[in-house]
Amino acid sequence: MLKYFVKRVLGIIPTLLCVLLFLFSLIYLLPGDPASVMLGPRATPAMVETLNKSLGLDQPVYVRLGRYIWGILHGDLGESVWSGHSVSSLIMSALPYTIVLTLSSMGLAAFFGIILGVLAAIHGKTIIDHLVTVLSLIAVSVPDFVAACLLLLIFSVRLRLFPVLGGGEAGNIVDQTHHLILPVIALTLGWLGYIARLVRDTTLEVLDMDYIKVLRSFGAPMRYIAYKYALKNAIIPVVATIGLGVGKLLGGAVFVEMIFNRPGIGKVITDAVSARDLPVVQGGVLIAALLFILANLAADLSYAYFDPRIRYK
Amino acid sequence: MTQEKVSIELSRRWDSYKRKSHLRIKKIAQIIHVIRREPRGLIGVSIIAIILMCALFSPWIAPFDPNEQDIANRFAGPSPEHLLGTDYVGRDILSRLIYGARVAAVVSICSVGIAVLVGVPLGAIAAYNGGAVDYIVILIFDVIRSFPSVIVILVLAAIFGPSLLNIILILAYTSFPAYGRVARAQTLSFKEEECIIAARSLGATTGRILLSHITPNILSPIIVLAGMDLAVMIMWESALSFLGLGLQPPTSSWGIMLRQGYTYIETAPLMIIWPAIVLITTMLGCSLLAETLRVALNPREREADE
Repeated sequence: MLKYFVKRVLGIIPTLLCVLLFLFSLIYLLPGDPASVMLGPRATPAMVETLNKSLGLDQPVYVRLGRYIWGILHGDLGESVWSGHSVSSLIMSALPYTIVLTLSSMGLAAFFGIILGVLAAIHGKTIIDHLVTVLSLIAVSVPDFVAACLLLLIFSVRLRLFPVLGGGEAGNIVDQTHHLILPVIALTLGWLGYIARLVRDTTLEVLDMDYIKVLRSFGAPMRYIAYKYALKNAIIPVVATIGLGVGKLLGGAVFVEMIFNRPGIGKVITDAVSARDLPVVQGGVLIAALLFILANLAADLSYAYFDPRIRYK
Repeated sequence: MTQEKVSIELSRRWDSYKRKSHLRIKKIAQIIHVIRREPRGLIGVSIIAIILMCALFSPWIAPFDPNEQDIANRFAGPSPEHLLGTDYVGRDILSRLIYGARVAAVVSICSVGIAVLVGVPLGAIAAYNGGAVDYIVILIFDVIRSFPSVIVILVLAAIFGPSLLNIILILAYTSFPAYGRVARAQTLSFKEEECIIAARSLGATTGRILLSHITPNILSPIIVLAGMDLAVMIMWESALSFLGLGLQPPTSSWGIMLRQGYTYIETAPLMIIWPAIVLITTMLGCSLLAETLRVALNPREREADE
């Protein structure tokens, strides 16, 4: 396991380097001179020069690349072109909101998805199975931004059950939870449907195996077998998709944060993108990519933990 | 081995290859059979067919010009004249939805098409050649996939600016590694087959082997993937347009309509509800079809169903 762990952790280094290179080259992908694009057409040459200096654009490429990576290694992601705040402080203040949002969606989706999936598998070919299959298919088909719009329309605007906008008063946990409910539901739906279907399919496959038949012949109750014995094997593919799920939920968070006007990393990135605040975009994307890579790593490692065969491939 | 024996052996292998391509045709017939028998597949196919019809014949189906404004009649509810009502400048919502199908179809078909055309050859060449080529191609795929796709799409869309072509290219860019990986895996298992060895010993060039012997045989999982991706691309086009990074008004796209509905969420709920219903139905149609295809292509699943 240790060998696999080291191999897998070292394996992310080339990817990380390429991510950094891509982010660094973003500034050259911008059409036109970055300074005049950021400052708009009315910028005076003096303003352009100051910005170029502050971004370090007057230095040769390799110096800039070196500085960029050096800065990141020290936790320095640069400063916002507009507000002058440091990018890392902007991101750090937004990050907890996004993490709470994605983790609670992930947790809810996994919890209910597994229960529904196993339920459907035990009651194969009955009304429960069909219901779960149809509902999960519908849930998978609703894009998260559409779900967010509809939830906002029905529960906030029409029924006035939930607050319309914002992330809630800082420090007031009840208020924050109240603000969290709709966004979490919007994000959870699709992933819940996906997990329920996945668990149903894999549990059906596992229930067909010999060791389950032996248990059944001993007279163990079906529910006991399913949750105690079958689930352990059926859950492996779910673990493997958690990395994928984090990527999906991070993406969904961008829309949900925008629609519910919640603070969060997605909102930081979308705001920065529309303001052309390059350092903030770079920093936000770096953190998002890092979260994604780490989630994938964690998923792979736990996959290897649950299924020893992976380690020896 | 004498000359004669070699030629007999080669023709035997060639026959086995011909049998395989016959099997392929049988497989397609089998898929059609499953779709016809499965009500879910039938529903999915009909939904997609309706959307495609709307996209192809929108000027003849739509009752109004999608950009014709009637300010006096704005925010109107459903009526015999405007079946689904009108939006904030009095445009007919139904007509705009029908024209929106056009954008959705063009974006999804083009971006999936480009992704397949780029990804499949790359994956197949990587697997067929192996070695350094394989390593580099895989590294490219991995780097592209290591960003959460939403964020890449957002950043690229912001950099290159909103236009139809840019959206298509960006969506193709984020999805081609998936095709490349499938094509690579398929080619790896298929390149050791007898028919490929036979073709090579007959003197076929690498290009010919890849193009006319490997490609047709690795296509079926790629077609399923492409079918599922069409829905994803439709969703992306709407999502980007919703954020204001995709197509720009006055083009009628479902995402733009949803965005405008979001702006008027307090006054005109119908402006959100109609595009949301259309989007969800389209996605559902694609999921149903993909689900049926999956069952049709997986014999184990089919037996369990019978």
